[in-house]
Amino acid sequence: MNEVFDIETLRGAARVSGFGWTAEELQTLRPAIEAALRLLATLDALPLGAVEPTTQYRIL
Amino acid sequence: MSTDLPFASVTDLARMIARKEVSPVEVVRLHLERIAAHDGTLRAYITVCADAALDAARTAEAALVAGRPAGPLHGVPIALKDLYDTAGVATTAGSKILADRVPEADATVVRRLREAGAIVLGKLHMVEFAYGPEGLNAHYGAPRNPWDAAVERMPGGSSSGSGVAVAAGLAPAALGSDTGGSIRIPASLCGITGLKPTYGRVSRAGVLPLAWSMDHVGPMTRTAADSALLLRVMAGYDPADASSSVLPVPDYLAALSGDVKGLRVGLLRGFFLESATPEVRAAVEHAAKALESAGAIVDEVALPAVAHVAAASYAVVASEALAYHTGWLKTRPDDYDPEVRKRLQLGAFVTGAHYVRGQQVRALVRDEIDAALARRDVLLAPATPMTAPRLDERQTTLGDGPSDVRAALIRLTRPFNCSGHPACAVPCGLSAQGLPIGMQLVGRPFDEATVLRAADAYQRVTDWHTRRPVLA
Repeated sequence: MNEVFDIETLRGAARVSGFGWTAEELQTLRPAIEAALRLLATLDALPLGAVEPTTQYRIL
Repeated sequence: MSTDLPFASVTDLARMIARKEVSPVEVVRLHLERIAAHDGTLRAYITVCADAALDAARTAEAALVAGRPAGPLHGVPIALKDLYDTAGVATTAGSKILADRVPEADATVVRRLREAGAIVLGKLHMVEFAYGPEGLNAHYGAPRNPWDAAVERMPGGSSSGSGVAVAAGLAPAALGSDTGGSIRIPASLCGITGLKPTYGRVSRAGVLPLAWSMDHVGPMTRTAADSALLLRVMAGYDPADASSSVLPVPDYLAALSGDVKGLRVGLLRGFFLESATPEVRAAVEHAAKALESAGAIVDEVALPAVAHVAAASYAVVASEALAYHTGWLKTRPDDYDPEVRKRLQLGAFVTGAHYVRGQQVRALVRDEIDAALARRDVLLAPATPMTAPRLDERQTTLGDGPSDVRAALIRLTRPFNCSGHPACAVPCGLSAQGLPIGMQLVGRPFDEATVLRAADAYQRVTDWHTRRPVLA
């Protein structure tokens, strides 16, 4: 994924998470956000449908 | 007093104290003197508990004279990463936000160590809120790697002060915590032994979290035998930690037979060995040969699913860390180190679906490691793919190409945070520049005994763990 996000889109996403970050802050963060989203997109490409997610961490 | 005493092992110190060959007061005073002499440069400690440690040492001495030793660590000083709660002593997590936080009670493992007779020397430096592997800290200054203080190299983190203090003889042993490698990375870069136990083996109650499902706590020592001794005291069920295991705690010291004849060792190729710099790779391959010469059966194995660990680990850690920090991030954003604040802010852009996919990858990785360990007793890999970078270094070159330093440091350790398997970092060489090289031994869940047996056996046939930095 090489999508470029404009600041208003990032501001909206941050607001959904409860943060009112300024355009200036988000501009500084944008390269790191885009790198993180590229990394996360690799998870979307994996065939994980039938895999039960780890939830109990093997507690005995 | 012997000049070797600052570097005596915990097991030797405990024995000497029990036999009254050395007094707890002498041992504590010696370490306080070394801290006074060297910590201005090395910066291992955030808080030194000099008066309390001396008081505890006097009490320990009196108890010994009265024939009432407290336990296997009677009179032995230790130091704690500054995210372990200590009653009456500030616990800052290396942050400005918690600079004045003074807990009312000890963390469970701190209480257990004190009950076993250990004396707390002080609280150790760390990366703010344990969120970073380099060992840097904007609030309290970066600790210096004692192997190269002159040119200012990274100690590794986030348990930076723990690595520095143990390597430099400013504490015989320390506790660290490990969410992506924060025990094993500073152990590797500082040339000491660091054990990340199985998830659930040691209570996290009273230890400030970074990411609950990835956080592990464990000992950082100069020998595997010392880690065995500390783990025996620290481990065991704790109702205050929901992830705590009810499995009984074995006698880890008794498991250290020195015998690895027939032990099946899987040398991790691919992602692990091929990413290492040539001298790290050569040192780990040499370590495999040393184990083979001692009777182990070594073969090679790959873990292809670990290629997805970076994304999975990021999704999980960023989400859990943000959940913990949301309040302060809203009310006190300027009190964070800007780099740590940025890492936390990025968590706001991870979706719930990404978090679950991260957990799915963790299941795949866990199953793959379990399968590799079904036919082997331990796995062997570099702990870090390179030696300690300079403090200002941001890019490096690994065996498979250029890499961001932060990503490189954490690359080989975090698969076992995702899976929860026990892993022990052990010194296995020195680079051409005289910097420590570390390997890690990984075992089956709750089989720390075999991991420590292999590490101890390796240390019986090599002397890398006995090398010391020359302090200015």
